[in-house]
Order: sequence, then C-alpha cells, then structure tokens
Amino acid sequence: MSRIVFTVYCLIIYAFLLAPILVVVGASFNAGAFLTFPPQGLSFRWYGVFFNNEVFLRAIKTSLWVAAVSTVISGIIGTMAAIYFVQFAGRLKDGVRIAMMAPLLLPEVLTAIALLFFVYAIGIGTQTMFAMIVGHVLITLPFVFINVSTSLESYDPAWSMAARSLGAGAFTRFRRIMLPLIKPGVIGGCLFAFIISFDIFTISFMLKSVGTATLPIQLYDYLRTNFTPEAAAVSTLSVVLTLVVVVVTEKFLGLRIHRF
Amino acid sequence: MTEVSIEQLTKDYGTHRAVAGISVRIRDGEFISLLGPSGCGKTTTLKMIAGFEDVSSGAIRFDGRDVVNVPAERRDIGMVFQNYALFPHMTVAGNLAFGLEMRKVPKVQMQERIARVLDMVQLTSHADRYPRQLSGGQQQRVALARALVIEPKILLLDEPLANLDAKLREEMRVFIRDIQRRVGITTVYVTHDQAEAMTMSDRVVVMFGGRIAQCGSPSDIYEKPSSIEVAQFVGQVNLMTMVVEERLADDRVRLSGPLGEAVVPNPHALRKGERVTVALRPEAIDISVTGPGQSATVLSSHYSGSLMDYRLQLADGSRIDVQTFPRQRFAEGDSVHVHAPADRYWLLEDAE
Repeated sequence: MSRIVFTVYCLIIYAFLLAPILVVVGASFNAGAFLTFPPQGLSFRWYGVFFNNEVFLRAIKTSLWVAAVSTVISGIIGTMAAIYFVQFAGRLKDGVRIAMMAPLLLPEVLTAIALLFFVYAIGIGTQTMFAMIVGHVLITLPFVFINVSTSLESYDPAWSMAARSLGAGAFTRFRRIMLPLIKPGVIGGCLFAFIISFDIFTISFMLKSVGTATLPIQLYDYLRTNFTPEAAAVSTLSVVLTLVVVVVTEKFLGLRIHRF
Repeated sequence: MTEVSIEQLTKDYGTHRAVAGISVRIRDGEFISLLGPSGCGKTTTLKMIAGFEDVSSGAIRFDGRDVVNVPAERRDIGMVFQNYALFPHMTVAGNLAFGLEMRKVPKVQMQERIARVLDMVQLTSHADRYPRQLSGGQQQRVALARALVIEPKILLLDEPLANLDAKLREEMRVFIRDIQRRVGITTVYVTHDQAEAMTMSDRVVVMFGGRIAQCGSPSDIYEKPSSIEVAQFVGQVNLMTMVVEERLADDRVRLSGPLGEAVVPNPHALRKGERVTVALRPEAIDISVTGPGQSATVLSSHYSGSLMDYRLQLADGSRIDVQTFPRQRFAEGDSVHVHAPADRYWLLEDAE
C-alpha cells in the first residue's frame, strides 16, 4: 500500500518537472503564428525561421563559448580546490567548504551587482567578456568542487604514496593515478558547470557587454515583444544541445563510477 | 646491497615527541622488525625511512649516504602498505609496470622482469586481472611483487598481514620470509604482532613510547627481555620476588623463592639477602600430580587446541600462569605440583 503511494508520489513529481518541457517541445512544432499548446498543426516552420535568425544563432554561439571557457576554468580551479580541501585543509576544512559554497548561498543578483561594481572599480568594466566569464566561473565553481570532493573522499592517499615509492613525481602521480580515479567526479562536475553556465541569466544580464547576448538573454529580449513558436523552438534546441553534451561526454570520457 | 643506518632519529608533532632519538644499524640483507603497540612510533619511523614523513632531527643513511633530504620518489625503496594500495584502474601487470616505467626500463626488459617477479609470487596466470578480482592474499602478493620488481635498495612493509585471516597470515609469513631470503634485500617490517616479528626477523626492535626498549634476535627478546614491559609484550610472563641465597663461583647467584631455587647471572653484584624481581615464562614451568616441586591448586584452565593455559595458586597465596601441552589435563580445584628448572629464570634489568 505504502509502496503504491510512494510510486504515485514520485510520478507526480516527475510529471511536474517534465511536463512543462514536453509542452515547450510540443509547442515548437506549431504551424500557427502564436505560441499555443496543443499546437495548431505540426510543422518545422519555426525551426526554419530560427536557423535564418542571425541574432539567435549568434546568441547560441556566445552561450556555448562562454560555457566552454567557464567550464574549463571552473574545472581546473574547482579540482585543485577539492584536492586541497580533502587532503590538506586539516583544521581549515569547514572554512574552506563554506568559502567554496558561498556563491550558492548568496542570491545571484547580489553576486551580479557586487561583481558589476567591482569590475568598474578596478577599471576592467564590461567592454570585454572577462567580467561575464568571472561571474560564470564563480557560480559554477561550487558544482565542480562538490563533485570532485565527493570522488576524492573515496580516494585512498596510500595510492599516491605507493606511486611515490615507485618513483613517480607529483605531476605523474596526479596524471597517472589520481586523475583517472577521480575522473567521474571531475567530468560530472564539469558537466554541471557547463549546463548551469549555459542557463545563467542574472549574472549574464548584468555583466554582458553592449551588443553581446547569451541565449537566455536573447530569448528574454525576444519574448518581451514577440510571442511566436520560435521561442519554443529555441528552447527545444537548447534542451537538445544540453542532452548532446551529456551523451557525448558519457560516450567519450565515461561518467560511470569506477567500481573497485 | 644496502646497509641502513639510523642515527638519533627524532620526530616531533608539535609538543608530542613520536620518535625520540632512536639509533639502529640494519645490516645488508637483514630482516628487521619494528615491534610495539600502536602509537609507539614504529610506523612513523618506517615513514621517515620511506620519506613520507619529514625528520625533526637525526640521520638516515643508505650505505653511508644521508637521505633525509632526498624525496621519497628518489629514495629507491619498495614499500608494501597495510591495505596494499594497489592501483584499482590498472591490471596486475599494469601495477607492476608502473615503477619500471618511472625508471624508463625498456619494454622487452620490463616484460621479462614482470614475468619473473609474478612467477616468484605465483601469480603468472593473474597478470591481466584487476585488483578487485583478486582475493586478499593475492592482492598482498601483488603488492609485494610491485615493490620488488623495481629492485629497490630496501624493502619496507607496514603491517602487511593485518588484514588477512589467521591461517593465511601464517602462510604469508613464511612466504614473505622465503622471498626476502631469496632476493637478499634489506628489509624493515613494522608489526604489532609479536609472533610475526619472532618468526620472520633476523632481529627485532621492540619500541615503546618512541624509544627502543630492546633490540636483539627473536630468542634474545623472548628469553632475555630487558624489562617487564618487553617481557609482557612478547608473551605471558610470571614475575616473582626472590631472595639471594649465595654468590656462586662463576659470577652467578643462587636465589630462592616460592617455586624453589633459581640460578641467574649476577651483573649487578648482588649480595646475600637482597631481594630481586625475576621472570619466568609460563611454558617453562612443569606441572605434575606427584611432584617434584611445590604444591599448588588449579584456579582455572583454558584449552586452546594445541596448548593448555592454567592459573595456579601456590601455598603462599601467590598466583602463577602455567602453559603446557594438553597431554595431561587438570580441572579446577585439582591439587598439583609445579616445578621450574633453576636455569629458566631471568633477572629483570630494571628490577631493584
């Protein structure tokens, strides 16, 4: 009895999570001129419109670029921070964790405003992508940190010691022993970072340079004045893009946990 | 191959002195055990020899060369860890190849050496398995092979048998000892198990509280322990007070006590009538129904397969432990006679 209740409960949660996405996907195949659901006739009309829309294509390219760069930076800094946190922090452990998680605890809009003041105060400003990437790294860092720390908890420091006794220097130990063994955590963390960066709105909105927009900003801009199914088509494509990134990563780098 | 010389080695953690100025000279090809309870500094000492712990003061010399400032990866040591620390993402052969790759050994030679060592640990057929596919004993042998294949100057083992079951542990003792003899490598073995240290070592270093309590052959440690602590750590022991009866011609003294007479060396120039503390192993005492010896009552008896442990009460009320083969058995309350040959006692150095 209680199992049935639990199953139903889970199904309802999934329905609430997934139904809106399905609605958007459905609406994107609309043949009519307005964003409605159920769609009035099926067609790829709005996908055609999208692929001829320079502004959206440029926004997607910007988003991918920003996400890729921030993921690489977050991946490197987050992994190094996690190694320090798990193996060397000692008594500082609690402090390091709170500091690393702080970007998640603060409202994004506060972080964005603070960064905006900061980049102008130090004279960098928002003419380049620099400020936006700093913001994206800041928001995505905790996800890399948490994932890598979790894999490191099951990493036995004796493995590093054994490698050392066999003659491996610090870099070789990292590349040949530690990295392969914490790989699922690093890749998982980077995937989170990429997807979240792709999705960030507030930070991008505050720190973007004039004339450049990421996809969420462009979409927001568009929806203020238009209400065509093109917006649904864009959303659907960004969902597909995210899925492609996950699947390709899984295929070529492996997300599966190493079983011992 | 290599002689290891440790001089006044000290390790401080803040105000806590984990290792307090120990000195040992380990001869070329010798198998030496660091034996002691947990926290006695034996593992810290091993880690300092390996290079995993900094040295607070003192020297560690391999063939006369001080290695204190040489990082672990350049000390040329082979180490076996308590939990084996095999690389889980590499096969057995991969684990063995790692150290050889670091030494840039040519491929063909590498395969030869791996094959030779795998043969030595009887795991040739398991070269392509992953560590998780092996039993504890097999993993242990791979760990040993991985440490030996690089042909290091010295072999260090940190409680390598602690995670194995009793029967396997005994097999592995002989196995490791055999291989060490065959390779002839200078070996330092850390353990808290006195039986392990006794059966495997050329010499045993007993450590308490960061200091060396005694260093000697297993039979020296067992039969002539220098202190009550050492005597109790390496086995059961009966302590008793005896009185000096007379000084014998060959620099020995005759003592008398609750179990009869004892004859021991007299290094402290004891005089007649002085009271001393002597020790006697439970298995050195004979027990019989009719005598000879003092009469005693059986307080309790424990059967452990090959041996019987008794606790007896003597006529003067003192208690002693006796261990015998279970050929003749006595029950609680039985009256028996106990006797110990006069030369089985030894005088404790720190006795008054």
